[in-house]
Amino acid sequence: MKTTHNFSRRDFMKLAGAAAAGLAFSSVPNLAWAAGRDKELNILCWEGYNSDNVLNPFRKMHKGLSLKAESGTDDPSMINKLRAGEIKVWDLINLNQCWARQQMWGEGLIKPISMERFMPYIEKMMPMFYNKEMGINPFALSPDGKELIGMMQRFGPMNFVVNTKKISVDMAEDQGLPMFLDPKMKGKYGLLAWDNWNVMHMCITAGFSPYKEHTPEEVEKFKQTAQTLFANAAMISGDPAQLNQALINGEIDAIYSGGIYTCSVARFEGFNEVHHISPRRGPLEGGKGSLQWFELTSVVNNPDVSPLAEDFLEYVQRPDICHTVAMAEASHNPVTQMSQPEVFNKFKKDELNSFHWDTLEDQMNRSVDYQVVPDNDLLTSIYNEAKRTREG
Amino acid sequence: MSDKQPKKKFSFGPGLVGALSASPFALLMLFGFVAPLLCVVWFGLMPPKTFELLQAPTLENYRTIFEQTYFKSIMWSLGLAAVTVVILLAVCYPLAFAMAKIFRSGTAFITYAIATSLFVSENIRLFGWVIGFMKKGVVGGLLETWFGLQIDSLLYNVPVIVLGMCYVYLPFMLFPLVLGVNMVPDQVREAAFDLGASRWQVFRKIDLPLSMPGVMIGSLLVFVLSVGAISEAKILGGQKVVTIASDIESEFTYAQNWPLGSALSTLFIVLTTIVVFLALARFDLEKLLGKKPSE
Repeated sequence: MKTTHNFSRRDFMKLAGAAAAGLAFSSVPNLAWAAGRDKELNILCWEGYNSDNVLNPFRKMHKGLSLKAESGTDDPSMINKLRAGEIKVWDLINLNQCWARQQMWGEGLIKPISMERFMPYIEKMMPMFYNKEMGINPFALSPDGKELIGMMQRFGPMNFVVNTKKISVDMAEDQGLPMFLDPKMKGKYGLLAWDNWNVMHMCITAGFSPYKEHTPEEVEKFKQTAQTLFANAAMISGDPAQLNQALINGEIDAIYSGGIYTCSVARFEGFNEVHHISPRRGPLEGGKGSLQWFELTSVVNNPDVSPLAEDFLEYVQRPDICHTVAMAEASHNPVTQMSQPEVFNKFKKDELNSFHWDTLEDQMNRSVDYQVVPDNDLLTSIYNEAKRTREG
Repeated sequence: MSDKQPKKKFSFGPGLVGALSASPFALLMLFGFVAPLLCVVWFGLMPPKTFELLQAPTLENYRTIFEQTYFKSIMWSLGLAAVTVVILLAVCYPLAFAMAKIFRSGTAFITYAIATSLFVSENIRLFGWVIGFMKKGVVGGLLETWFGLQIDSLLYNVPVIVLGMCYVYLPFMLFPLVLGVNMVPDQVREAAFDLGASRWQVFRKIDLPLSMPGVMIGSLLVFVLSVGAISEAKILGGQKVVTIASDIESEFTYAQNWPLGSALSTLFIVLTTIVVFLALARFDLEKLLGKKPSE
């Protein structure tokens, strides 16, 4: 047998070196640097606002605009970007309601927006976001109530999701999150690894509110609950689409921690058996057992903030853009502006059905606001330990 | 007559040219590799849950690591990486031999086919496996349609994580092995056969030792890449196991504990370096790569 390829050791080393260099370069992140902020706008947001359907009309309105939107899958990570120095990069940040008032405002990461400019829009929002008795929903205001710190748009309850061909809505609403501790549920549910939501839901499952300092007994109960839930889960994923797929094809019967946000796309595709559940009762304030979120989009305290930041906030109040935001590709959600007929009339029946419009008011009434958990550090540490030492 | 000596013209000596040539790389390494690494090491010494680099150093984060069960994640990462290396060696060596010594035009086709897979994002490729292996997916659906067999999901277990890692990192083992096997002179093999050596003896005494540079480089590449793997356990394994990369990611994101994440990263870098050096210590790389003669 003859050698047909004559590779020398030198050739070998060259190729090995080239391969190593290629590997090293493949891990270099893309960085975008700002120049001329009047033609630039950078948005850090949850999935949906980064859709071209939402962004392109704004691009057309501002020729030559460099409009970038990056999506995250958890609030703390996005805040960390600002803490890490990206406050000079981003102009808008879109997070769940509690973070602006409870963390970002106090740390000087966001700045107030014009009350005068946005009040006419807020006054037309659904009653839970503005009514004459309450005024503006407190989460959109600074702690002293004087400054407007963001605009509210998408919202929804977030508890768990079932396949109604396997688990009835009535039973799930009645039993609530403790249903997942039933030994019969072993291997029949998937766990959505959105950790900060799971910490709150595991508190509720264990029988107490997450929004207080917990006693050692409660912490121990939380640990046992987390261990059981991890051990009995058939799968864990950070991707709602993967879990919905498993729910639809019968691999699992339910998803622990899920909301209209995570299941609406599957419903819109015709899988009506994918159903979000808001429990009827629980250990939360007023005997409630359900959590709800709404997003607040705030202007970042960027020393050279884009002058278009507030313009974008006003742009997403347009009825056609409200509809586009609500029906963004990755997740379909109700928006606070649906109280206005010119917005509501843009939605078709199947679109409304995708986010449970028929029962939405009931679900929201059963829910309390998502807040920062006081002993989140301790509970997150226990949660991660339970995930790491998972048995089953 | 003047005793003035002619001025010496400034000229670039080989040393200066060498230093200037090396400076872009040295700067790149300094700012792109050494500085961030030092930042990570230093951040690991900052008090937990803080975001400032200029504070009194503490070993609190390392205490937390040793008090909790992070060793499990570390063991999973090291174990999965080791298994991946062993499986890929067994799978790739025969193919590398065929590509280097037997195939002709086929070698180019296989090279392009495997290299092309690298152009597609790892996550997309892994989701392809999910579609194949999920309940009533491509595999389950075909078995049911053709043979009436109903099977459960093949996902969310340790073997499928290993399968995913082997699939993703196969090119990083195969190509160094092909180059390594190419370095084995056919004349030496022919001489061994002429002297009565069996196939096994030729493999053990000639092929394997002379292709060892490829084996070493391939194994190191695959080990270092797969020890930091995160997607396979998440996407295919349904987080059946939690790898250390996943733990580090959690600390930097949900837990908002950058110092602990940095301490975990530092510890893991040190551990990986020790494992790699222990492996290298068993081989004389310079001799393997032909820089010094055999004794």
